[in-house]
Amino acid sequence: MSEIHSLAGPYVLHALDESERETFIQHLRGCETCAAEVAELNETVARLADDAWSVPPPALRDNVLAAVRRTRQIPPARPVRVRREPTRWWRHPAALTTAACLLVAALVGGATWTVQEQRLRDERATAQAAQQELARTQAVLTAQDATVRTSDVAGGGKVTVVASPSQDAAVILLATHSPGAQKAYQFWLMEGTTPHSAGVLAAGQGTATHLVSGVNAADAMGLTVEPAGGSASPTLPIIAEIPMK
Amino acid sequence: MNGDEQPYQRPDRLSSVPDVAPPADAETLLRAVARGDEAAFTRLYELVAPRVYGLARRVVRDPAQAEEVAQEALVEVWRTASRFDPARGSATAWVFTITHRRAVDRVRSEQAALDRVQRMAPEATQTPADEVVEQATARLQRQQVRRCIKTLTDLQREAITLAYYGGYTYQQVAQLLGAGLPTVKTRMRDGLIRLRDCLGVEVSA
Repeated sequence: MSEIHSLAGPYVLHALDESERETFIQHLRGCETCAAEVAELNETVARLADDAWSVPPPALRDNVLAAVRRTRQIPPARPVRVRREPTRWWRHPAALTTAACLLVAALVGGATWTVQEQRLRDERATAQAAQQELARTQAVLTAQDATVRTSDVAGGGKVTVVASPSQDAAVILLATHSPGAQKAYQFWLMEGTTPHSAGVLAAGQGTATHLVSGVNAADAMGLTVEPAGGSASPTLPIIAEIPMK
Repeated sequence: MNGDEQPYQRPDRLSSVPDVAPPADAETLLRAVARGDEAAFTRLYELVAPRVYGLARRVVRDPAQAEEVAQEALVEVWRTASRFDPARGSATAWVFTITHRRAVDRVRSEQAALDRVQRMAPEATQTPADEVVEQATARLQRQQVRRCIKTLTDLQREAITLAYYGGYTYQQVAQLLGAGLPTVKTRMRDGLIRLRDCLGVEVSA
């Protein structure tokens, strides 16, 4: 049982403060078995109302029925698709540094959506790979030795690198404008003056969460704009550079 | 068939459905309420109001405030009935969850303000004694809940009742019981699991 899951009791008893409640609700969205347990515990807790039976004052009935006559009802909600597993993310929130915490919050939405899309296309293998990447991304973001570095991108936007030596990996977060339909952003790991490609984004893509392995030997991370599909060596100028050491 | 047989006579009037309302369960009523059926809401009121009011009273204590909380909760039941999802639990649980949430919110905002001045005020006189009327089924359910609460360990029972009837956060409960936070939250959960098994609660999703 994960640490956060022990909040199921206080949650159904309405005994959590707001921030813990939000965290737990996030947890529930990603965990079907937890949701099932919470439904049962909620049902159990509601039975405690049986022992609170008390004759209401007669005025209550009149007041409630009068209020109902002047209260408009809300329409049904649109059906919500049940999210599956991906939010394992939140299992070790205590280990997060403050900066990484914010990043995780920003990432969860996008990452979950990615996994969902893949499921919709029923590409199980791809979804699994995405989940593994998600798990690895989480490991980097929650690592005790994670460092966070941010740099402006020439021409606007930001790039952030969360690197963990113990994981020998880094998570790159890019938030900038599209490079144009026929162009793509490419990441480079610089060892001394030698660049190694660290991945190419899809053509036109300006925002990304990108996991890179084998970063411990790198001195810096660079960003360039390349023709769609990427290049073997960087096309100058380097529009963002972040030292890794 | 022969010709002497009495011709079919149309009755003067159609016999009416017996005047007694068929027993309706909370879920059927709540579905009708979601379609704007005020009569169904009135019957749902009769079914749940003693527990809604009793729960509000138990948590907030002050009868006048309990009445306000009960009214808010019942109007919210009317207003949001279309959001009830039977796959996630029973209609009564849904109603009491709304009520409890309202009562707890009231207590917490109260605590932030004054230290419950109202408690010192004399009790409103029009509140009838709890024992006056009590339906047989309600009594049975109540007995079952009490019996099951007795199966809990002291710590489980106190943690759960302080949180539920007292409206305390689990941090406050831990302080009151002089116990650690991890212990209290764990006891709440395993105590509720024991209660669930004792009461035979199931959610048929």
